[in-house]
Formats: sequence, structure tokens, C-alpha cells
Amino acid sequence: MAQEAHGAFYDLLAVRGVSRRDFLKYCSYVAATLGLSEAAAPQIAAALEKGSALKPALWLNGGSCTGCTESMAQVDSPDVATIVLELLSLNYFETIMAAAGEQAEKNIEDTIADGNFLLIYEGSVMTGEDGNTLLVNGHKGTEILAEAAAAAQAVISVGACAVDGGWVAAYPNPAGAVGVQAFLDKEKIATPVVNIPCCPMNPEWVVAMVVQWLLVADDDPALFLEKTALLTKSYTDGVYDAKVTLNYPEYVVESTIHDNCPRRGHFENGEFVSEFGTEEEAMGYCLYKVGCKGPQTYTQCPVTRWNRSVSWCVHSGAPCIGCGGLNWVDNNAPFFKRLSSMQFGSIGSAQPGSIAAVVGGVAAAALVAHGLGMKAAGRVGDGPPMEETTAYDRKHGAKKGGDK
Amino acid sequence: MANIVIDPVTRIEGHMRVECEVSGGVVKDAWVSGTLYRGMETVLLGRAPEDAFYVSQRICGVCPISHSHASSQATEAALGIKIPEGARLVRNILECAQYLHSHILWFYNLAALDYVSPINALKADIADTYALAQAAGTKPSDYGAVAKRLTAFAENGQLSILSGHYWDHPGYALPPELDLIATCHYLEALEMQAVANEVVAVIAGKFSHPMTSVPGGTAFVPTVDKLDDILFRLVRVKDFIDTALIPDTLAIAPFILDAATYGGGTGNFLSWGVFEKSDLVPENRYLPRGMSQGLKPEGVSPDDVTEYTNHSWYDSPTGLNPKEGETKVKFTEYNIDDKYSYGKAVRCKDLSTESGPLARMVVAYLAEKGGADIAGGADVRTPAKLIDSTLEALGVGGKPEILVSLLGRVAARNLEAAYVADLSLVFVSELIEALKGGDVQYWKAAEKDTGAGVGAWEAPRGSVAHWIGLDGGKIDHYQIVAPTTWDIAPRDDNGVRGPMEEALVGTPVEDAEKPLELLRIAHSFDP
Ligand code: SF4
Ligand code: SF4
Repeated sequence: MAQEAHGAFYDLLAVRGVSRRDFLKYCSYVAATLGLSEAAAPQIAAALEKGSALKPALWLNGGSCTGCTESMAQVDSPDVATIVLELLSLNYFETIMAAAGEQAEKNIEDTIADGNFLLIYEGSVMTGEDGNTLLVNGHKGTEILAEAAAAAQAVISVGACAVDGGWVAAYPNPAGAVGVQAFLDKEKIATPVVNIPCCPMNPEWVVAMVVQWLLVADDDPALFLEKTALLTKSYTDGVYDAKVTLNYPEYVVESTIHDNCPRRGHFENGEFVSEFGTEEEAMGYCLYKVGCKGPQTYTQCPVTRWNRSVSWCVHSGAPCIGCGGLNWVDNNAPFFKRLSSMQFGSIGSAQPGSIAAVVGGVAAAALVAHGLGMKAAGRVGDGPPMEETTAYDRKHGAKKGGDK
Repeated sequence: MANIVIDPVTRIEGHMRVECEVSGGVVKDAWVSGTLYRGMETVLLGRAPEDAFYVSQRICGVCPISHSHASSQATEAALGIKIPEGARLVRNILECAQYLHSHILWFYNLAALDYVSPINALKADIADTYALAQAAGTKPSDYGAVAKRLTAFAENGQLSILSGHYWDHPGYALPPELDLIATCHYLEALEMQAVANEVVAVIAGKFSHPMTSVPGGTAFVPTVDKLDDILFRLVRVKDFIDTALIPDTLAIAPFILDAATYGGGTGNFLSWGVFEKSDLVPENRYLPRGMSQGLKPEGVSPDDVTEYTNHSWYDSPTGLNPKEGETKVKFTEYNIDDKYSYGKAVRCKDLSTESGPLARMVVAYLAEKGGADIAGGADVRTPAKLIDSTLEALGVGGKPEILVSLLGRVAARNLEAAYVADLSLVFVSELIEALKGGDVQYWKAAEKDTGAGVGAWEAPRGSVAHWIGLDGGKIDHYQIVAPTTWDIAPRDDNGVRGPMEEALVGTPVEDAEKPLELLRIAHSFDP
């Protein structure tokens, strides 16, 4: 029986033009992305082979710009990645599904009624105007999310907006945007949520997460949480004013951009881009002086890179604007200025164990000292001025310079 | 009178509702509603202009590049910055790549499912499919393999994104062989749109949400390696457009000729102009700035814009130019006789005005017919050449008025892709020449920090303008009129319908339970 299912799976792959060898290679790649050893590849393959029925999934868009859907469409090696994606039956996905109107709504209702599905949520949860800032056929977006999340086995919230409201939650927006976890906490819905950061999120991280789900979840959300390497981060939500603890895949957020940045050597050598569009950029000098937030942003962008590993922000000459961090707009704007205070507080203070120490304390202190030292040595003296008062300061009570 | 409601309208960016009053199988009246409010303009107040560039592009993840360019231009206008020649070329290439991505994705992955049935493709005869592809001059694929893949998919019984649609609607009129060809290209298009976006990534770090085309020019500095990465991808994408997109459009058109008889809309067209020439004069762009009423050209300026709010969920003064306008949200209830949308009713010269590829191509066509050399002598397929030869091929030569229809809107988008593909290679060779000459500049700093300006530009889906006011380096005013705002506008204070509403009126609906024609019209605007 198992043998049969196994054979059928490889027949299906053959039909899709993927050889068994390619498939196993892909499983090793996924293992590496997940931070697992090569030895996990056969386990991943076995988990994926299992499925003859596709795992049902819903992809809901809240207050989104559809950028995460677009990002998903740029995923690497589509032939093989589609295998994973085609192991899901995306019964509802507004941006690409064929059905519309009543028929589309029926797809969602049937999936919820059947249960055992995975929910992927893109965009912020819109609570403003009593939840009427997002309406689908007269239903509030918040009600749709609550109903779907309560019935789902797990939620993957993709992109900064779904994580903590993203730019939509930036000060002083009245739209009432919150992240999925904050909303579910408030509604007392205990379905586990895993967050994929960045604006938009990196599609490779989502694919790896879906594999993780198919590999270890086995229809058991508790097992999913227990066996998935997660790091937690906490912040205080701006709408409910409540502490929210988020789960991230460890492989995505375990180190800073600065830790893995190819321009890091230039940083250490004091070789900087001080003005855009210059020779220094073409030579790959460090972008710290034009505002790079790589030192305070915890994601794997330099490792995974974007658009099938073609490039990433810093590679193309742009300073990291910290879209992978919490409260990213308020914490990191003005984007082209070095901030006088590094806003680690809301991320670091509530982190468990050593990560908290590293994020909140030691690393921040070391960086500031490092920066000051370089300034003293005249190596960062001629950059653009430091910004004294940021939107973050305004929101949280001005530290310097007073409120506007 | 029966009301047909489509909510959600799927395969679009954002959230939208269409409601139509139908009698005798024809739409008598229509209401189009935007059902999401996010508050972009409020977020930008008090921030620096470069923050506006990064944040405001996030209003749309499908056309963020055009928003980032409009935002940069607004700042540059406010602060009197003239971007250097190198930056102009880099930005043009970046914008081209987004157009190519967007048009390919729209035609195959979003709109085609209204015309092409992958289910019907299962019945195709493989040998006949090869013969048909050859006759149509369209790119051959491995039809046998794709047919097998489709069969496996269908037999599994879980149709995923294809489930629950109107596949049995008689509007699916293509022969199975053409359905199979188009389905193959649906899959290849997924790949090609990503290749176009790799060009975006080389220049701007990632798609969506580009990083380098900043106020003052670009942070990106091209190198020989990077130009090589750009060029070979653009050539691949252009090849797909020439060998699949254009021949497929011509092959499908004869089966949907009735779409030339409805869906035209207001017939008022606006283009702010896109793709800069060296003089940076907006009226002189490769797709020029202009308006047209009844296919008669006229000039236009961002000062001609007004936004009405009486039918929208805003508590903001009505009838203002965005220079003075504000955006204060206030939801009441959905009521088609009163307020029913988060879209404002934006008007140009007080007319209900369509924007998008059809509008741009009409404005360019009229300019060219009026003697303008819009392509500046470049060896490209210009809008007039493309439109005239297509009309000829469809047997309606010399009748450009037929463009004002559903079919015209679909075709215009694909023809524009051909022009843009040609232009992209022109810009790359100009940049190579500039690099050879040495001394190329990519960015200029501002010399002041106070002023007001507007950046009016074109996204793939339509006209986009950002109005900025800066005081001491901080934003004290920001208003955006996004592309879709034009097309999905509700009624204005005079009760005049928005362009999509107007386009829906008069449309025959064959099956009220499965209003395929209405979806086709909504999708033709690429909202
Ligand atoms: S500051 Fe930014 S550009 Fe410089 S090394 Fe760190 S991450 Fe890279
Ligand atoms: S490098 Fe920085 S700005 Fe770019 S995607 Fe990663 S976190 Fe966001």
C-alpha cells in the first residue's frame, strides 16, 4: 500500500518533468534552508511522498498590498518548488484563484467546515472603523480571520503587515492595523501562529515553512510547535496596548543582516558610501553611513537573498531599511539617517535567554561603542547627520528635541 | 430587475465589489466599490521625503516601482532637483521591467482564466495542437507533458486554485487545442514574469518593493556585470512577448469578437506619460502625457484633477485638487444610493476618466497620428504601428474607434508590452553608450528642504500621481491618486458613474448565476 502511494508520487513527479534525483536534491536544499543536517533529506522526502491527497490551505489577504503574493510568485526553481506548493490545495487565494463572488465564498466555507487545513495570512488585520476598514461581501475582515483561524490547524502569517501590522500600523494611522497574533490573542484563539518577516516576506522562507509543516505537523499542531525550531520575540502592540509574543522560524531570525553582509569587511575597514550613486557603491563599500539598519535587523536576507537569489537590498546599493524588524517603519525611519538611539528595546527586552541578552544589551552596546570609536577615529565623521527625533520617539514620548 | 453581486472580485490587487442591476439580460446600472482602507497618507505626515519614497510604494505590491518613481518625482519637483542622465536611464529600465512583468502576469495568470479553460484543454488532440500553434505562429511547448500533468491534476479531484469556477459557461468558446496552448503559456508566463522581475532585483534589490530608485536619482550604480545580467533577461522576456503574448492575443481574439461590442466605458482617456526622454519634459515622454475625449487629443495637467467624496466613506471636503485635499476616513454603511466605497471619485477636467494601457495607447496613437515622433527616432514598434497592424489583422483596419471596448482594452495592454519590450533594449544600449563615455552620474543631493510638488507618472495599470508638501525636510502634506482609483471610482457629486461602472452598463449577461462577462470587464482594467 505504502509502496503504491510511493510509486504514484514519483509518477506524478515524472509527469511534472521532475526526476527522482532532482527531487532528492531539492530535499537536501530544503534541509539546508531549515538549518537541518543533510541526514534529514530522506526524512523530508518521506514526508512529502506520503501525500496523495493534497493538504487543504487557505490564503487570505487582509490589509495587504499583495506584495507578499507577488513575492511568492518569484520563488526559486519553480519546477521543484511547485511540488511543494502543489502538495497544498489552495482552495482560496483571492489574487490567483479562478472563482469569484459566491463561488469563492463557498470554497472558503467548505474548507473551514472540513477542517484540517493550513491558513496563510497576508496583510494586516484591519480593526479600524469597528472592523469596517476591510469588507468582503459585507463580512468584516476580522470576522473572516477569526472564523478561519479558529478552525485552522496552524497559521503562517506572511510579511511585516501580518506579523505586527507593518507600515499600516505606523504612527499615527487611525486604520487600526494589528498583526495576526495580536488579534488572535485578543480573540482568545489559541491556534499556533508562525511569522515570516520582511516587507514583502521572502518566498523561500515560506516554502521551507510549508515543508516543515508537511514534514513534522502530521495533523498535530502541538507537535508542529514542539518540533519546529522557533525563536520568540515580543513587542507591545499599538492598538490593544498588550504584550504580544511572536514565533519565528529560527533559521530566519537567528542572526543580523550585518553578521552576514558581504560589505562587512568594508565596514570594518572604515570604507563607506557617503553619497548615493557613487563609485564607492559600485565597489561594494558599506552603506552604514547612508543609514543602513543591517546591524539592528535580524533576518537572513544576505544568505537567502531575493528573486531567486539574484540580489538583495544592500547588494543593489540600498541601505537595509529594517523591514524585517518589529515596528519597522517607526523603529527605522528616517531610513537614510543613522539613528542616535538604536531601537532595540521593543524587540530585545522580552526575548528569552541568550538572545535577549544579545539583542537587547550586549550587541547594541557594542555597536554603539563601535560606532563611536569609529567616529572618534574619524572614520564615520563625514556622513549625513544623525537624526535626533524619530517617529518612534514621537510616539513613545520624545527623548530629544521635543515633539513636533 | 435583478441585482448581481460579485464580491469578492478575485484575481485583482486589493478588495473590490461589483454590483449590477440587470434587466432583460443586460446591465442597466452598476456600482463598483473599493472595500479596503489602509491610511497611507496619514502615515507619511511628519516624515522625511525618502521615507515617503519607501513607504508610499507599499500602497501596491504589484506596481510599487511606479509609485516609488512618482514619489521621488514629487520630492524632486518640490526641491528643484533635476535627476542626472544615468539615473534617468536606470529608472526607465527598471520601469520597463515592471511593465513587462505586470503585463505578462495580467494576461496569462489573471485575465486569461476568463477566456481559457484548462479543464477543456484536457480534450485537446496533441497533434492538432502542434498544427494550430504553427498556424498561429505561437511558441510551441511540450503539449503532451502538460496535458498529462493536467490530467493528473484533474483526476486527483482537488482543483486547488481552479476549483468552483464557471468552467461550463458557454463564454468559454476556444477550441480545446487553443485552451491547451494558452494553458502551457500560463505556466511559462509564471516563469517569464519572474525573469522580468529578476531585472528589477538586479537594479533595485528585490521585487516587490524596490530599494534603489531614490529621490535625487538612484542609489544603484551599474557595472558591466550587472548590465549583462539585465540585458540577457530582457532579451528573453522580449522573445516571449513576440512569440507568445502577441500571437496568442491574435489567435484568441476571433473567438471573442463580441467583446468588441461592449465594455467601452466613458471613452475619456488620461495618461500622465511615462518613460522619460533626456529633456525630462512630461509632455514629451515615450508614452506621452495627454488626454482624449471621443478620440480627440488635448493637453492635461495634474491641476486638472478633482476628488469628490460624497459617495465615499470619507469625512473630507469634496471637489478639491489633491494639492489641498485630505483623507479622513469615516465608515457609515454600504448604501449604493449614498456612500458605498473607500475609493474617492477622482475626475480630470471634471470628466469620468479611464486610465491604463488603453488610455496610454490611445493618447500615444493620437499624438503619433498628429505627427509627433514619440519614440524619438528609435527603431521600435511604435503604438500607431502596433495598433494599425493589429486592426488590419483582425479585419477592422482603419477603425480605431473599435478600441473603445472590452476587446480593445485587452489588446492595448498586450500591444503596449511589445512597445515597452523594444524600448527597454533601447534604454540599455543608451546606458552602455553613456558608460563608455565615462563620467556618468546617478544621484544629486537637494539644495533646499522646503517646497511643494507633484510627481505624475504611469503605472502598468494606470495613472499615478503623488502630491507632496515639505517644510524643513518634513512632510506636511501628502496625497496619492493611485492608478486603480481612476478606474474603480464611484459616482461623483453630479451622479456621474466611474469608468468601470460605465463600462459595465450595457453588457449582456448570459447567465446571471455565472456573470462571466462582468468579471471580464472588471479584470480588463487590471484593478
Ligand atoms: S552596515 Fe549595512 S552595508 Fe554595512 S556591513 Fe552592515 S549590513 Fe552591510
Ligand atoms: S535587507 Fe533589510 S530592508 Fe532589505 S528585505 Fe532584508 S530586512 Fe528588509
